[in-house]
Amino acid sequence: MGKKRKTFSLLLTSLMALTLVVSGCGGNKANNNAAPADGGNAAKTEKPVELIWYTIGPPQKDLDKVVDEINKYTKEKINATIDMKMLDFGDYTQKMQVMAASGEPMDILFTCSWAFDYVQNARKGAFMELDDLLDKYGQGIKDTIDPAFLEGSKVDGHNYAIPANKELPAQEVWRFNKELLDKYNLDASSATTFESLEPLLKTIKENEPDITPYAMLKDFVPAMPFDYLIEKMPMVVPMDTTDYKVINILETPELKEMLKTVRKYYEAGYISPEVATTTSAEDLYKSGKWFMDRAATQPFADNLWSASYGYPVVSSPASKPYIYNWSVMGSMQAISANSKYPEKAMEFLNLLNTDSYLRNLVDSGIEGVHYEKVSDNVIKNLPDSKNYDMPTFSLGNIMINYLNEGDPENKWEEFKKFNESGINAPLLGFNFDTSKVSNEIAAVQNVKEEFWSSLMTGTVDPEEYLPKANEKFKAAGLDKIMEEAQRQIDEWRAANNK
Amino acid sequence: MKMVGGFFRNVLKNKVLLLMVLPGALWFLFFSYLPMFGTVIAFKEYRFSRDGFWASIVNSKWVGWDNFKFLFSTNDAYVITRNTLLYNIAFIFIGLVLSVLLAVVLSEITNKRTAKIYQTGMFMPYFLSWVIVGYFAFSFLSSERGLLNQIFEMFGAEPVQWYSQSKYWPFILILVYLWKAVGYNSVVYLAAIMGIDRSLYEAAMIDGASKFQQIRRITIPLLTPIITIMTLLAIGKIFYADFGLFYQVPRDSGTLYSVTNVIDTYVYRGLKTTGEIGMSTAAGLYQSVVGFILVITSNYIVRKFDKDNALF
Repeated sequence: MGKKRKTFSLLLTSLMALTLVVSGCGGNKANNNAAPADGGNAAKTEKPVELIWYTIGPPQKDLDKVVDEINKYTKEKINATIDMKMLDFGDYTQKMQVMAASGEPMDILFTCSWAFDYVQNARKGAFMELDDLLDKYGQGIKDTIDPAFLEGSKVDGHNYAIPANKELPAQEVWRFNKELLDKYNLDASSATTFESLEPLLKTIKENEPDITPYAMLKDFVPAMPFDYLIEKMPMVVPMDTTDYKVINILETPELKEMLKTVRKYYEAGYISPEVATTTSAEDLYKSGKWFMDRAATQPFADNLWSASYGYPVVSSPASKPYIYNWSVMGSMQAISANSKYPEKAMEFLNLLNTDSYLRNLVDSGIEGVHYEKVSDNVIKNLPDSKNYDMPTFSLGNIMINYLNEGDPENKWEEFKKFNESGINAPLLGFNFDTSKVSNEIAAVQNVKEEFWSSLMTGTVDPEEYLPKANEKFKAAGLDKIMEEAQRQIDEWRAANNK
Repeated sequence: MKMVGGFFRNVLKNKVLLLMVLPGALWFLFFSYLPMFGTVIAFKEYRFSRDGFWASIVNSKWVGWDNFKFLFSTNDAYVITRNTLLYNIAFIFIGLVLSVLLAVVLSEITNKRTAKIYQTGMFMPYFLSWVIVGYFAFSFLSSERGLLNQIFEMFGAEPVQWYSQSKYWPFILILVYLWKAVGYNSVVYLAAIMGIDRSLYEAAMIDGASKFQQIRRITIPLLTPIITIMTLLAIGKIFYADFGLFYQVPRDSGTLYSVTNVIDTYVYRGLKTTGEIGMSTAAGLYQSVVGFILVITSNYIVRKFDKDNALF
């Protein structure tokens, strides 16, 4: 008897110990980097400085190898070395929020409008103000990148991060699976507005029961001429505004009409019935079982898409190229407020954005290992490139990158032309400071999560749910947020002569 | 002086036992008691300081109770509190009944090898992450390819859009939770049953007691202390909802929020974009204070009835 009891309590104890170990494992992986030991007064001793750099993307197998190579170069150029740490896309925001809040030592960090939010963290004090540093050590950056980037990414009049020189405006296009277009003799250029898609979708729905006509995701929002104060929150101003009055997009007749059309498409089966919970269409793209969708474009995007899916994709414009706050802030590198070596960090960022050798090393890896040169500025990936596959857009100026085999010779010129074609959205340069209404934002955010996707994707009837949503938004304090936003916009207009 | 001497003598006398307590005590000190100083963030508007964490806390502005307001400012406050409480009450009581039942049944299986297999089988779901459980549920409930809808179609019934019909979800959530948790909890009771003196049953059998009577008169009364302890501990967490269950299993479907939104998911959704850690700390503090009060009260009530079964 006694023995049995003992065995069981032993079992129980080991069980609990196991649970502890298992649940403990997920935790503190990010904490094992040693702080730079040498003090900040190393100016005379000439000891190379180590900069800790956090950036976004899946960790790469050959990262250490490439970083060694980078360090050889940067040690010689600016007497600094890099300790590069990558955090995957899904983890980046959360991990960086915790690390910034707890004062983890770091020097350079990736930030943008869609991960580890740039404006909010700049206001909370996570980043160093760069105005003077840019003048002193970042002259190359100022000369190379489109001035609209530095101007558009100012928060309360100051720069807190260096934007990557890349496509400046955001333009939406309708994308089509070309094989299906050809099969039914359809014309991509007949797609202009959302309404104009109907005959195309109808043909596919009637003839191809296995194909999802419109590959829509739960974050779908109709492309409409409104500029959002906060992405996917109902506060907007119309693109052609002159009085900058903040309105609730859900109360506009334009959106109401649009939602009726989306609902019609949903009921006709052009959209998956599960769209309100669908977060990825990767399986459709892989199998080619989709006909069309909408995506943000850049010059030669059709080539990129076709290459990555393995079958031809064509597109036709769905909106004008507008320059938004969020498109300007699409990818940036900031210097952490607690950096011990802000000057060196700026020197490094300057080099990264101007020095073609370093930029390509960071982006494509080591010549002869990860890629080989076909000509002076054209490269070809080697099989090992899969061990070092970095998100190009996130690592500074993309326009000094080598071209890939098959890229058009005038790729970067086309980017520059695309950037010049951009139309400034009305709120470009205005960043809503939510700190006075953070309680209301939290409540409105919850209402938004409840209604937004199902309304925008046509999953629910707008006639019934639009009034319901508006009522709840009001109860959660949307009016107070809009009032505060209006006050800030009026102040901003007065200060900037808008 | 005498007291200090007495203390040291006591330590010396029990040094082996105290040494055994040490790792656990240290663990609690570092991971439960020290972080409690962080609750001060609940009353601050947290802003980063370049001199590290402590400087950030000290330099942040005091805002009083402002950080708590968002929890109570809208009608949702009622919905999330109701959902959190009712689901947890259902989990505690249905879970308790089922786990004890399972433990009793398992203990009565004479073939120990079969009992082990059943036990392991019921135990496994506990170790699955909610994300995976969410996909299990999805494979049943998906409107296009889900198992349930395919069966419905086979019998000519209308397929159901599970992820947009809130009326089914209280049952689905409770079912999924029980499937995952009951096996694990029953092990605790099974261990207690194994500890019951077999001679009691032998005596009962000689007196002609049936199986059912043995269970009612011997097993259940002897299990009462551990049932009380487990329930009291669960009540302390009644204001914490299992985030994974309420977020992953319904696939964050907006139309289901009226029955799936709980305090934890509300806080997550409200703060994921602004990342105000002051407000999330406030929510955590609110949950633990309410939990603390509930544990104290229910323990007090237990003491009133039966002193031996109380936790403290």
